[in-house]
Amino acid sequence: MHKVIRQMGQLRLQVSQGAALLRSRETGNPVVISTAPPALQVKSLHTGGMLCAKWNKYNYGPRKWLEYNKTVHPPQETDEEPRKAYVCHMRNNIKYSPDKMWYIAAFVRGMSVDEALKQLNFVLKKGATDVKETILEAQQMAVERHNVEYKSNLWIAESFVGKGRVFKGVRRHARGRFGKVEYKHCHYFVRLEEGEPPQHYYQEPQTPEQQYEHWLEQMRSRKIINSL
Amino acid sequence: MEKIASAKTCLKLLQVLPGVQQAATIPGGLAPPLQNLIQMQQVRHRQTKHWQPEFKRLRKLKFVKMDLPNLREKQEDITKEEMRSRMKERGVLPPRPWMERPFHISCTGGIFEAYVPPEGDGKKSIISTSGAKQKLEFLEKKSKSLMAVRKIRSYEESFGTDEFGAEAQDIYIQAHTHMAAKEKYKIREFVTERCYPEMMHNVKDKTIRWKFLQSLEPPRVVHARVTEVITKENQFAQVTVRFHSQQMLAIYDRFGRLMHGSEILTKDVLEYVVFEKHISNEYGKWRLHDKIIPDWLPAKEPAPITYRLIEDMEEEPPKELSAGEEAKQLETGSEQSKEQLQLTTPVESRAKPSLTI
Repeated sequence: MHKVIRQMGQLRLQVSQGAALLRSRETGNPVVISTAPPALQVKSLHTGGMLCAKWNKYNYGPRKWLEYNKTVHPPQETDEEPRKAYVCHMRNNIKYSPDKMWYIAAFVRGMSVDEALKQLNFVLKKGATDVKETILEAQQMAVERHNVEYKSNLWIAESFVGKGRVFKGVRRHARGRFGKVEYKHCHYFVRLEEGEPPQHYYQEPQTPEQQYEHWLEQMRSRKIINSL
Repeated sequence: MEKIASAKTCLKLLQVLPGVQQAATIPGGLAPPLQNLIQMQQVRHRQTKHWQPEFKRLRKLKFVKMDLPNLREKQEDITKEEMRSRMKERGVLPPRPWMERPFHISCTGGIFEAYVPPEGDGKKSIISTSGAKQKLEFLEKKSKSLMAVRKIRSYEESFGTDEFGAEAQDIYIQAHTHMAAKEKYKIREFVTERCYPEMMHNVKDKTIRWKFLQSLEPPRVVHARVTEVITKENQFAQVTVRFHSQQMLAIYDRFGRLMHGSEILTKDVLEYVVFEKHISNEYGKWRLHDKIIPDWLPAKEPAPITYRLIEDMEEEPPKELSAGEEAKQLETGSEQSKEQLQLTTPVESRAKPSLTI
């Protein structure tokens, strides 16, 4: 357990030092360590190359979302309705639980950008600032790079949360037992679309009569005619 | 000796004692039980509500403390001292400073002795006074060009000012069609390394429809220069060709909406295009190098898009508003923004359009 904790302590350094340093360390160390005296061995444990920000080689974080910004749609005819501009943006590895972030992400879904920014000022949750900043960044991107004319003419078409890196910690229990603590990170994704937000983002609310009609139709459709 | 030593200790004690008394009076240096009392006084916030606040410290101790890496830390936010201490801790040497500057030796970095297009070219007649003056100046400057042409011919025997026009037009068309098709590898044969970023910088997320319809006047060589770079054998030749042609240009944005130009509109284009060749290189090719945009050219017509000037953004500081004010501002926001919006030409957002006269 001690080892794990020490390794975790070293993580922070690894993250900050840039790719060039990391590469140089990955190539060098293991041979040296096996021959080093025990006292030295403790100090330069071979955690170096292993536990950096990319200790897991394929740990790139979400990559596909921003690729959508590179799609180029074919030119439209003059009589066609102009396609709505959209812009995808995200913020990764926010130190906040994805479970808690979900409430904020779902809250702003389907709002216009101005409305969302206004509402988020009054959300007393830590993640709200991150969401707000992400939306602002996306708005700026849309205007500067994606040919959106009015920055207020945008609405939040998609807003969701992904799970980021999770660090495992330890918590003491009675009788020498211990429990596990998860220090979670999350990614926040947003897609802004040009135009007015729709009246109902989800399904249109139905009256009891409509619901009954729907149910009735469903029941009747189950009947197989001319059968036994 | 002993007496002196004892006296010293006595003095020390005296020095220490008032310090102790002082410590007792200052709130920070309270006796331990008192200190505990202060810590136990809880303030209940919404988040820090616990049904038994007295054991808060003990509960906190249950968690084994560990350092979490800050995953959102940016490279530029770390101070130099911080970085230094971290690297010392890890035993890492600082990276070597990057002193090299990349540059190309297969083309020059600009136009040398650029041609100055006569004002009102394509509009003024030779019979008018200014037209005649231009013609005279043109003749004066020609001797240097002739020398350069002779020099080029010494390296490239088949070079001739009359034949080069057609060749240049072919290069010109090829370069532009490849740019419109975003063929980033094929275009390298027709444009120099200096020209490449200028042509390809903004085409990435756009669709360009470009067509060379016809040549109004046959392309003509108006200017030629040769220079050596670093050594005397290393010769570069630049030839300026005048194109007067009809072209069609339409630029669509990422979503297929028309940004600039039109597909059904033909425009007369007068251009002075510089071609370059590394003549001392046996395998050198004539490539498009630059376009000359004269100072007297009238301003381009503004883009049909409204956007906010950056100066306006700087003027209004980002301020935290109370709820009431914020709501008010948002109501009036649309009107305000309309006032601040102005029409101007977004030069950088365009792929370099042809010089239209």
